[in-house]
Formats: sequence, structure tokens, C-alpha cells
Amino acid sequence: MADTAPVWAVVLLPFALAAAAVLVAGFDAVLAAAAEGGRPGRPLRAAPAPLRAGLRLLGQQPRRTTAGDPWLGRIGIALVPVAAVLAGAVLPWGFRAVTDPVVGVVWFNAMEALAWAAVWLAGWGPNSALSLVGGYRFLAQGLAYELPHMLALTTAALGAESLRVGEVVAGQRGLWFAVWMPVAFAVFLLSALAMAFWGPFDHPLGRDAAGGAAAEYAGVDRLVLLAGRWLLLVVTAGFSVPLFLGGGHGPWLPAWAWTLLKTAAVLGLLVAGRRLLPTLRMERYVEFAWTVLVPLTLLQALAVAIVVLER
Amino acid sequence: MGLREALRRIGTRHPAVLLAVHPGGTKTRLAVEAGLRRRGWPVAASPAAASGLLVVGSGGAGAGEWTDALWRQLPYPKSRSAVTEAEGVETALDGLLRTLTAPAGAGVAGHVGPGEGEARGRLRAGPGGHGAHDAHAAHLPHAGPVAGLPMAERADDRDGLRLDRLHLPLGPGLADWPAGLVLDVALQGDVVQHAEVRITAPAAEELPYWDEPWLRAARGEEVGRGAAHRRCCAAHLDSIARLLAVSGWPDPAARARRLRDAVLDGAPGQEWGAELGRLGRRVRRSRLLRELTAGLGALPGARARRFGVTGPALAADGDAYDRLLTWLDEAALCAAGVDDDRPLAPHGQHDKQGPRGRLDGPRPPSQALLDALPGLLRGAEFTSARVIVASLDPDLDELAVAAHG
Repeated sequence: MADTAPVWAVVLLPFALAAAAVLVAGFDAVLAAAAEGGRPGRPLRAAPAPLRAGLRLLGQQPRRTTAGDPWLGRIGIALVPVAAVLAGAVLPWGFRAVTDPVVGVVWFNAMEALAWAAVWLAGWGPNSALSLVGGYRFLAQGLAYELPHMLALTTAALGAESLRVGEVVAGQRGLWFAVWMPVAFAVFLLSALAMAFWGPFDHPLGRDAAGGAAAEYAGVDRLVLLAGRWLLLVVTAGFSVPLFLGGGHGPWLPAWAWTLLKTAAVLGLLVAGRRLLPTLRMERYVEFAWTVLVPLTLLQALAVAIVVLER
Repeated sequence: MGLREALRRIGTRHPAVLLAVHPGGTKTRLAVEAGLRRRGWPVAASPAAASGLLVVGSGGAGAGEWTDALWRQLPYPKSRSAVTEAEGVETALDGLLRTLTAPAGAGVAGHVGPGEGEARGRLRAGPGGHGAHDAHAAHLPHAGPVAGLPMAERADDRDGLRLDRLHLPLGPGLADWPAGLVLDVALQGDVVQHAEVRITAPAAEELPYWDEPWLRAARGEEVGRGAAHRRCCAAHLDSIARLLAVSGWPDPAARARRLRDAVLDGAPGQEWGAELGRLGRRVRRSRLLRELTAGLGALPGARARRFGVTGPALAADGDAYDRLLTWLDEAALCAAGVDDDRPLAPHGQHDKQGPRGRLDGPRPPSQALLDALPGLLRGAEFTSARVIVASLDPDLDELAVAAHG
């Protein structure tokens, strides 16, 4: 079982997540600049682009739309980073999390589900057709990915015979879950992207709908929504480390360093992988999710259950 | 104050720019896109995401109305600039930046329109979709206006339910959208029930950019085949870039745009030929893209012929994906011919084929594409509708020729 971190970790957590989010966003900006190829050989100069964009949004006037419901929208927007940070509370750094409740895995999933409401409310708020389309797209996305996602979470918990994140990590002392639950791991990575509505699951904020749920937000509103999305990506990707990649377990290096390395590797994979794929449309993906992923994850869970019973 | 000022300047150094492209402004648009790429400035997808508005090309009478509406929707601090000639792009972009980085209090830039300060993002089809309700406000049977806006009306949907039905204009200011095109759609949920094409006619001063070599040859001027092939290749790459961007695949879209600019810059074929091949292979290899675009906007050859469609959309004889592949094929074919310096024969059978179809027909090829469009959109989900429009990519610049004969 993991230790609970000292109280100051509560204060530190949002800042650490934000720093990680800025780094990942910077990495993504570099990849985007390399693809654009505007100034050959200098894509690295795009690394501070997310910070610049953040400053720009901070200095910008928020917008109001006619007959919109600004508070509904703002509650939605604010819930995105809040859900990310609350989910981050059960994320162990090394072997220590801010909190390690008995139902840590369920807590994580519940916070993720909060993001459903968040994006949908954000899309509903401005009374604008395209932003509403974006909000509803996320609901459709939720229907498509959530079922296989929950089965993947369940599989990891089943393997450790506990819903406590610390015990899931402890259960991987000898062998990472990713090795003997590859399907669950892959599905979790997919849903990490979907959860953070990050490409190829970025349809709710799709450019084809002028930014979808984010279409009408400017200034701080926009900053909170988009930054919250990066936080969600960092947290969900980071959660794959205690669930499937052995958490802080590893030779030579201290546990926190292993957590950091593994998280960075997963994030790098997800961010770079996005560039290989076009945006998935849920009316097509849902079929794949329900006819392929759900049976596969069920079989995976069955296999794990048999192993656990035999143990 | 010094620190705040410095931070503000850093934040505004790379402003996101919203492009409002008038029909007829293709050449200028290409220069603007290249200029933005050189500077590393993002292109905004909606007014809310933008700090600068760049009006590209010169519209005809009444064309300022929708750009003014867009301008009103931008949040402060904002800056506006206009460019009509490809040569003026750098000046216009510098102008945008100057106003944005000017010391605070120096005022907001550009032109202050009526109703300034009152954000008007009412139920509308995103950027440029102003006046969403004006046309339909008069005949609402079941509800009065709410906050000055009419409620959605109801109608039967495809499953026989009565659902809200919303009338929206799509365009003319959407990203990766044909300049000057407005689609008046009736949406139920995000399914297009009905679509009508409304066209902003281009100011007919110049020949349409993409068709220029063939039309000049038809007028008896001497145009090299290589130049025509170059233009054709670039036109297809432009269409490919838009379709990929609408499909949410920004990397290859950026690559197609970069290639397009290299082709138009007159770079020798061996510099970009291999890159074109790589782009084609990458797009073809993506099974996912095929899954996502297959079956959208199916336009079989016989039906296309009935609408008078010629060119790639007819040759594709299929859906959005087939049209994408046809563009890739034709772009590769054109690329092979860029070093051909024989003149274009004005009466040769194969030399009247512009990027979007035969240019010697009774109507410009894009008119046929526009005629076919509403039928293809009926019943399509919102994104599919965007993909269908992008896969036909009608060029409204061509309609100026029709107006002038």
C-alpha cells in the first residue's frame, strides 16, 4: 500500500500538473511547427507557443453571447481542470499519492466522468449552434469509449484484487500489468486520449465546427478550458503508469524518477501518435468500440480473472 | 506596469488570425497562408479564438457586411487589416501586429463598426453566420422570441419524430471553406435536413486564379503547358489540404499546403516530386481515413453527368474518398508534366480541362458542383456535410466568368 504524501503535496499537485501540461503542450507545438515547416530547421522555437498563447488569452476580454447562459458555461469550463486535479489526487508519485482511498480507481473514473458534464455544459452555455454540436459530440464520444474504458480499469483492479491504487502498484512488483493485460493497456491509452478530448478524439473541439464546444469562448474562459484539457491529458496518461506500467517500480533509479520517466514516455507516445491519425468520428467509432473493443476487453478481463483465481 | 506591458507584448507577438476571404481572392489567400506560415502565426477557426481579422480580396457591393459582423465578434484587444493584392500581405500582417502590440490605451485597431462592444454570438453557424434567424423569424407557429431571438421550430425528422429544427447559414467565414459560399441549412440535432446554396458573386475583374492558364489560352494568349500543369497540380493540392484539414488531420494537410506553395513558386519538379509521392502514399495508406470518409457524398458517374459535372468529381465516380484519390492521381499526373514547354492548344481536346472540369462548357464547372451539392447534403451529419463540401471544393471564383460570359 502506498503512503499518503504530506499535506504540502496538496498545494504542490496543481502546480506540478500545470508544469507537466505546459511541457507537453510545448512538445506538441514543436511537432506542429515541424509539420508546418514554416521556417525550416527551427521548429524548436515554437516550444514556448503555449505560454505565449496563454498570456494572450489572459489579456483578452471574455466574450458574452446573446441569450447565452454564461454561468452554466463557466461551471462547465471550470470543471475541466477541477476534474483533472481531483483525479490527480490519487495519482502516486513514486509510491506516494496525495490520497490513497480504498476506492481510488473508482474515484479516478468518477472524476473522468465529470469531464463529460463539463464539456457538455461548456458547449451548451453560449447558446450557439456549433458549440452545442461540439458539446453533444462529447456525449456521443463518451458512449463510445467509456464502456471499454471501464472494463480496462476493472481488469487492472481485478489483477491486483483491489481498487486501491497503491495496491494496484504493489501488485506489479514482479511483472507489469501491461505485459499480461496488453489489451486493457491499449484500450486505456485510447480512452486516455478520448477522455481528454485530445486527437484523434478531438471531435468535440473540432476545427470543422469552428472549435466546437470552445467556439464561443475567449480570454480567461478559453484559457481555463484549453489548459484544463492538457491537465486532463497529463493526468489520464499519467494514470496508466500506476495501473499498467508498474508505477514507481524499476531498478537503479528512485521511484519518483521512474514515475516521471514512464509518464513522459506515455505522454510523448500519445502526443506524437496523434499526428498519424485523422480525427475519429464517433458515429463510426462507436461500432468499432462496441463490436471489437468491448468483447476484447471482456475476454481480457476473463483471462485475468482465471489467472487470479488460479493464483 | 513594466512587467505587465512586457507580458502583453510577448502574448501578442504571434496573434491568431481569422481569415475572411472574399470570392476572387484566391491568389491573395495563398500568399496570406504562406505569410502566416513563415511567421508561425496560427490561423483561427472562429472569431472567439482570434486576435486579428484579415479581410482577403475585395468583395462586391454589400460584401463588407459579413466581415463587419465577424469583426464585432472578435474579443478585445483586436486588430483588423485588409489585403487585396498578394504583394501587400507582409504590410497587412505587420499592420495587424503593430496595432496589437501598441501600448495599452492606444485604442483598438481598425474600424469600429456599428453595435461595437455588444458581443453578438447568438445562435449562429459560427464565424460569419450572421443573421441566422432574420429570414425565418416571421413564421413561427408555436413560440415567441426569447431574448429577441426566435425559438427553433419543429418538423418531422427521418425517424418520424417531431424534433426541433434550426435554420442556420454555414459560411461564408468558416475555416477551409470555399470563399463566398453560404449554405442555408435546416438542422435537426446535427443532421442536415435541407440545404440551399447561396452564392456571393465574386467581383468579376480578374480571371479565376485556378483556371487562369486555360482561359488565357482560350483567349488566344500563349500559355505553356507546364504552367497549366503547375496550376492544376497546385489546385488539387489546395483541395486535398482542405479536405484533410476538415477531416482533422492537420499534419498531412500542412504538408499539402507547403507543397502547393512550392509548386506555385516555380520550384523545379525534382525538388517536390518525391515529396508529393510520399504525401500520396501516406494518405492512401491510412485505412482510418478511408473508413471515415467512405460513403460520404456518393456521386455516381451517371448522376454527376446529369448535373453537368466534369473533371475529377466525374472521374472519381464515387464518394468523398474516391474524389480525394482522384485528386492525388491527377496531381501526380500534372506534376509529371510541369516541364512541358509546348504551348497550350486552345482547341485541343485535352487542353480545356481545368482543375475542376471542362472550361468550354455552357457553365463553369463549379456551377455543376454547386448544383449537385444540396442533394448530397440531405441527411448528412454536420461533419459529413463539411467533408462533402470539401470533397467537391467548388471554386466560386469561376462564377465571375459566367457572369461576364
